[in-house]
Amino acid sequence: MQPIPAIPDILKLKRGTGSSHRFQDNLTIALFLLPALILFLIFVIYPIFQSVYYSLFDWKGFGPAVDFVGLDNFINILTDKVFLIALRNGVFIIAFSLVFQLPLSLALAVLVGRDLPGRVFFRTIFFMPYVLSEVMAAIMWLFLYNADPERGLLNALLVLFPGGKAIPWLSDTNIVLPAVFLAITWKYFGFHMLLYLAGLQNIPIEIEEAGRVDGANSFQNFFYITLPLLGSTIRTSVYLSVLGSLQQFILVWIMTKGGPVNASETLATYMYRFGFVRFQLGYGSAVAIYMFLICLTFSLVYRRLTRQPDYLTGL
Amino acid sequence: MTLPYSRPRWNTKKFVSRFIQYSVLSLIVVIVFVPLVMLIFGALKTRGEFMTRPYVVPIPPRWENIISILSHASFWLMLRNSLVVMVAATAGVLLVCSLAAFVFARMEFRSKPIFINLFTVGLMFPINVAILPVYFVLRQMDMIDKLWGVILVQIAFQLSGNIMILRGFFTAIPAELQDAAYMDGCTVFDFFWRILLPLARPALSAVAALTMIVSWNDLLVPLVVINNEKLWTLPLGTMQFQGQYGQDLAMISAFVALSAVPTIIFYLFAERQIVSGLTAGAVKG
Amino acid sequence: MSRKLYTFLSLVLVLAFALAACAKPTTQAPAATSKPAATNTPVKVTITWWHIQVADDQKALWQQLADQYTAAHPNVTVEITVLENEAFKTKLATVMQSGDPPDIFQSWGGGTMNEYVSAGLLKDITADLDKDGWRNTFSPGALGVYSYKGKNYGVPRDMGAVGFWYNKDLFAQAGITNPPTTWTEFLDDVKKLKAAGITPIALGEGDKWPGGFWWEYLAVRIGGKAAFDAAYSHTGAFTDAPFIEAGVKLQELVALEPFQEGFLGATWPDEQVVMATEKAAMDLMGQWAPGAFKDASVDKMGLGDKLGWFPFPAVEGGAGDAADALGGGNGFVIGKNAPPEAVDFLKFLSSVDSQVAQAKIGLSVPVVNGAEVGLSDPMLLLVQKGAAAAKYFQLYYDQAMPPAVGSVVNDSVQGLFAGTLTPEQAAQAIEDSAKKEVK
Repeated sequence: MQPIPAIPDILKLKRGTGSSHRFQDNLTIALFLLPALILFLIFVIYPIFQSVYYSLFDWKGFGPAVDFVGLDNFINILTDKVFLIALRNGVFIIAFSLVFQLPLSLALAVLVGRDLPGRVFFRTIFFMPYVLSEVMAAIMWLFLYNADPERGLLNALLVLFPGGKAIPWLSDTNIVLPAVFLAITWKYFGFHMLLYLAGLQNIPIEIEEAGRVDGANSFQNFFYITLPLLGSTIRTSVYLSVLGSLQQFILVWIMTKGGPVNASETLATYMYRFGFVRFQLGYGSAVAIYMFLICLTFSLVYRRLTRQPDYLTGL
Repeated sequence: MTLPYSRPRWNTKKFVSRFIQYSVLSLIVVIVFVPLVMLIFGALKTRGEFMTRPYVVPIPPRWENIISILSHASFWLMLRNSLVVMVAATAGVLLVCSLAAFVFARMEFRSKPIFINLFTVGLMFPINVAILPVYFVLRQMDMIDKLWGVILVQIAFQLSGNIMILRGFFTAIPAELQDAAYMDGCTVFDFFWRILLPLARPALSAVAALTMIVSWNDLLVPLVVINNEKLWTLPLGTMQFQGQYGQDLAMISAFVALSAVPTIIFYLFAERQIVSGLTAGAVKG
Repeated sequence: MSRKLYTFLSLVLVLAFALAACAKPTTQAPAATSKPAATNTPVKVTITWWHIQVADDQKALWQQLADQYTAAHPNVTVEITVLENEAFKTKLATVMQSGDPPDIFQSWGGGTMNEYVSAGLLKDITADLDKDGWRNTFSPGALGVYSYKGKNYGVPRDMGAVGFWYNKDLFAQAGITNPPTTWTEFLDDVKKLKAAGITPIALGEGDKWPGGFWWEYLAVRIGGKAAFDAAYSHTGAFTDAPFIEAGVKLQELVALEPFQEGFLGATWPDEQVVMATEKAAMDLMGQWAPGAFKDASVDKMGLGDKLGWFPFPAVEGGAGDAADALGGGNGFVIGKNAPPEAVDFLKFLSSVDSQVAQAKIGLSVPVVNGAEVGLSDPMLLLVQKGAAAAKYFQLYYDQAMPPAVGSVVNDSVQGLFAGTLTPEQAAQAIEDSAKKEVK
């Protein structure tokens, strides 16, 4: 790695022509970048390569990897039904996030608005779940979801209704994923709401008022003025939401361990199961590589489609 | 509001819309609070009360669980470890990220795009995915069972996003300022340290606050890195506690609630910083 | 700020990170500081010991035993790490992969232990067992679980069998006078309980292994020792008739809907609460169940006299003997870097006195001859007799086989319970994994 490239002409513009200046700027670049670069190379980039290496072996994690199997792991993963379920669940969580969670966050941001008395109160409360740990959120939702009406609040409320029947929230293969998604939404909607609030704050109030004067009602105002101006915030929020959905782990692992019968399996729980439960580290590494490739592909395509100069411009 | 003749009409309309606004928002507040309130109720009950009457208000409140946890040295030890990790990781992130973001925002060199792209890779290889290989690396570096291992990994995986946030902010600072500073004989470091960083304080506090949250709540890294009970952080302790007192939900509630108290206190203080930081940092491409 | 200072600062920064990244922090006390002094004072030794007894009285007993030992051997320090079961498994996996096992740690023997042995992570203590007749203090079957290819790597402290724990009152309410002895009777009783409005069976299938017992026990009854041995040695397969038959029988039971609401996502702790609060009539579980029920009941007294035990019923036409048992136990193995004192300490832990003390608080069903006297609980005595009487003792599949296969067994059986897998598909999945992993 050579972090000291020489680009004299650009530097000249700002710093005069002295070669000592040039040298100094290069030194600055090198020294400023080094700490981040070292950490990043050791803990992020090197592990990626290591994953690639181990993914080519049938390896239990004890001793050196010797059973070279080529691309077998990658092929086996694609033919494993559970992997496809995990992938499908990932798409499901993304879709639900985009259709429910983000619009909810945006709606709440608009409702909280910029001049509502008590807005700070609402903003503070809504962001609170994001501040609490995933472990805590998972445990709290486990309590709420308990199948026994005498132990789980949601079912206790359900059986209060005439003809109401307890729902085995986390035990029914058809309900578990939406149930987990609800907990995810509870945890993360405040974060996206905050992004939107920040975006809204940057829209000059005059623009909206001008619209109003021109006879636009609030809906027209929102769809024709506010929404387009929020474009870059929304793009960032969508991007973060998709990556977050694909990488969802702790909440799911503690609540369901990906079950029952893989009904709430995500890519991350699938990988964790092979790495830490079954000790098939080669296979697990290959899963990690797939996850990386999926996220990378999505990022590149998304950047191309949205023409964002970089991923977090909306922040 | 600027047109006086429409005021009476506005007021009725405004009243209705405010009413709807408050109703919807209050409903969401209730939904956000239900799990939390249940947890606090549970924390203030005895084990038997929790099993027989899990939903009612704990009157009188039982402080036994809370007291027994607080009187255990291990809770304070976990609190300390969590604090150490959080402070160190946050300081590290601030320092390392602002240095790198400065270079990316204010300096020109040919390979810049390569480096920027390199760092964005971090967004696609989050710690959840990387945990296995990261564990191998730590093992090779003999950093298993050291808080340092947790801290460095946390910093490394927070680089990408935070560098980008800060870079956006640094870019927005007018170039004239930099030129003027250099005219006056400032070195690059002077400009960075004495002009840019103070100006970027809102963005820095937002980054700090978000980093603190992530670090404080991190379970996965401490889970695989730390063995020694004396080095456990709070989320790790919570998980252990949940297994250990699998039956005693009141005790678990108490522990979980207590472990969140520092977060909530901190959050209530920093809320304004987070919001203003994110808002100020919002730089439209 | 001067240029020099900034350069200096940057350098320090870089250095600090470089050092932090490479340095080996030295805060940990060395495992064994072997400084052979000139005098006769014994070398100071630290033994690291990981166990999973998190319940207060059991944890206290282990601590007390360690204190006793260190009092007699002042040069030895015992560092105890207590981990909850699931956390222990995750943590152990990571330390084993890092090649640095604790000196003494909890093990269930079998396939997982064999994998550690193959990786050279455990210490061979065969010679120690042969010395002074230590070996003969154990019941040979239990000791065998901690051996691999004729060498010993650890010792048992507990051995028991899985069986049915049932609520006598609820059985009586449903008009059942005697516990079932055959599978047909068993199914009839399930129907009777259902008819009486009682949930027949508590199950925490979200944890998977509790359901694994059902399929495994059915396979033990239907196929006997021969079927498992054949499948394990690849002369037969897990797709052989007995294993498929086990799946069929299991799904016959599932079709009766005998489990509590939400059993598929419930955990073993949930299962305990269902039993302890008398919401279900029976529970297929190991020797640790009564203690767990006590912990899970409101008054911590458990089911008291209402609790009964009967062995898994015989399956008509099955090749297995009705006395054959599925079960397993707990033990301790020795890590590869353990000092000799660790073995000596283990010897102390497995002495009759220590085993009696464990049995007294219901922690262990003893495996050391003569320690049964500590066993006061009549039900645990039943379990102990049941395990001792078995001509064929099958270790739980997820312990007998490598972890990958064990995990597949549990996952597949969950599929049987959920109805997402047919008996053939489940058997095929297990066979595929066994073919690859069992060598």
